[in-house]
Amino acid sequence: MAGANQKGRSALLRISLGWLGLVVLAVAWQLAATAIGKTIFPTFTTSIVAAVRLVTGHILVSDILPSIGRTILGFVISAIVGITAGLIIGYNENARTWTGTLFDFLRSLPTPLLVPIAVVIFGINGHMVIATIVTAAIWPILINTANGTSSIEPTMLDTAKTYGLRGKSLFLRVVLPAASPQIFAGLRIALSVSLVVMVVAEMLGGGSGIGYYISNAQQSFNISGSYGGVIILASLGWIFDSLFLVFERRMLAWQRGTVGGMIDA
Amino acid sequence: MIREITETNQEEQGKTLQRGRRRSYGRLRPLGGVVIALLLWELLSVSHVVNEAALPTPTATFAAILSNSGKLASATLGTLEAWALGIVVAAIAGVIIGTLVGRSRIADAATETLVRMMRPLPSLALIPIAILIAGLGLKMTAGLVSFAAFWPIFINARAGVHQVDNRYLESAHALGLRRLELIRRVVIPAAAPMIASGIQVAISLALVVTVSVELVGGTGGLGQFVLLAQQGNATATMFAGVIVGGFLGWALNAVYLKMIDRALPWKSQGERS
Repeated sequence: MAGANQKGRSALLRISLGWLGLVVLAVAWQLAATAIGKTIFPTFTTSIVAAVRLVTGHILVSDILPSIGRTILGFVISAIVGITAGLIIGYNENARTWTGTLFDFLRSLPTPLLVPIAVVIFGINGHMVIATIVTAAIWPILINTANGTSSIEPTMLDTAKTYGLRGKSLFLRVVLPAASPQIFAGLRIALSVSLVVMVVAEMLGGGSGIGYYISNAQQSFNISGSYGGVIILASLGWIFDSLFLVFERRMLAWQRGTVGGMIDA
Repeated sequence: MIREITETNQEEQGKTLQRGRRRSYGRLRPLGGVVIALLLWELLSVSHVVNEAALPTPTATFAAILSNSGKLASATLGTLEAWALGIVVAAIAGVIIGTLVGRSRIADAATETLVRMMRPLPSLALIPIAILIAGLGLKMTAGLVSFAAFWPIFINARAGVHQVDNRYLESAHALGLRRLELIRRVVIPAAAPMIASGIQVAISLALVVTVSVELVGGTGGLGQFVLLAQQGNATATMFAGVIVGGFLGWALNAVYLKMIDRALPWKSQGERS
C-alpha cells in the first residue's frame, strides 16, 4: 500500500517537473524577447494572446477547422490503404519481393516535392492537401504493418489454420491482432507526418488552412499572428498525439501484461 | 547471415543448388515490380485518364532528366549542402544533449512534456518565422534543418541512455570509470543502436525540411527547381526534379545504412540473437 502511494507520488513529481520544464522555457522566451525588443521576435505573452485570438475569431472556422479535417481525412485514408496493402505484402512473400525496390524508392521521395505536382493535378484546394498527406503518411503505416505481419510466429498461424480459420476470419482474428502493436507504432508516426505535410502543402497552395494562414501572416508582416499560428499547430500536434495514445491504450488493452514482463500496469 | 547458414545446413545439397538458382531470378523480381509500375504510369498518361498536361510519360520524364542534367546536378548539390550542414549540427547537438539529459533524472523529467510537444510539432510551420528572423539563405535553411533533425536524434539518444543495462554501468563503475569516461566508453556505445536509428529518421526528415524551405522560400536547390518548372508549365521537367529527389533520398539512406553496418557491427548482432 505504502509502495503504491510512493509510486503515485513519484509519478506526480515527474509530471509536474515535466510541466515545469515548459514553464521555464516560456519564461526564458519572455525574458529574451523583452531584452532583444525587436518586432520580429514578440514576447511569449503576445504570441499566446495572438493564438487565443485565432481560436476565438473567424480564423477558427475559415482555417483551423479545415486543416484539422484535412489532416484527419488524409490520415484515415492512409490508414485504410496502408494497413490493407501492408497485410497483403506482409503475408505474401511474393508480393514483398515484387514491390520491395519500388516502395523503397517511393518512400524515400521527399514528399514536399510532390506538392507542385498535386497542385497541377488537383488545383489549389483541400483535395490537393489530402492527396499530398496520403502520399507521405501511407509509408510508415504500410511498412510497419508489413513488418508486423511477416514476423508473426508461424506456429500461431498453423494453429489457427488447424482450427479451420481461413481467409477473412484468419486475417481479422489472428493476423491483424498479432500485428497490431507494430501497426499502432506506424500509425502514431503517420499522424505526426500528416500534420507536417498538411502545413507545407497549405503553405504552397492550400488556398485556406492554418499553414496558409501562417505564411500569409508572415508575408503581410502580421508577426504575432504567425507566432500564434505556430503555437496553435504545436498544441494541435500535442492534442492529436495524446488522443492517439488514449485510443491505442484502449485498443491494445488486451496486450498489457503479455509482453515486456510488466504486470503492474 | 547466421540464420541463412543454419537453414541451408538443414537442407539437402540439391535443395541448396535450387535455392541458389531461385535467388538469381529473385534478384530480377524487385526490378520487375519497378518495370510494371513504369508501364502503368505510361498507360495512365497515354490513355488520358489523368489530365495529359499534368502527367507526362516516363519517357518524357527521363528525356527531361537528360536534357536538364547540368541544372539538376547543381540543384542537387545545393540541396545536399544545406542538408549536410543541418544534419551534422543536429547530430552533434542531439547526441551530446540527449546523452546528458538521459543521465540526469531531473533534467530527464523536466524535458518530458517539452519532448511530447516538440515531437509532433511540424518544424515546417517555423519556415515563415525563420525567414523573418534570419532572412532567406543557406544559414536559415541549415538552421531550420538542424532544428528539425535535432529532435529525433535527441529523443532516441535520451531513450537509448535509459536502456543501458545496469550491469554494464556497475561493472564499469567497479573498474573505476567515472563521469565523462563512463559516458564515452560505456553509455554511448551501448546506446549507439538507438542513436543510429534516430539519425536514420533525422536524415530523411532533414531532406524533407531542406526541400520544403527551398519550395517556400525559393532558395535554390531541388525545391526551387521543381517550383520553377511548375510555374513555367514544364511538367516533364517538374517530374524530372521529383524523380531525382527520390533518388537522392534513397541514396542517402542506403549510404547511411552501409556506414552503420560498418561502424556498429554489434547492432545487427544484437538483433539476430
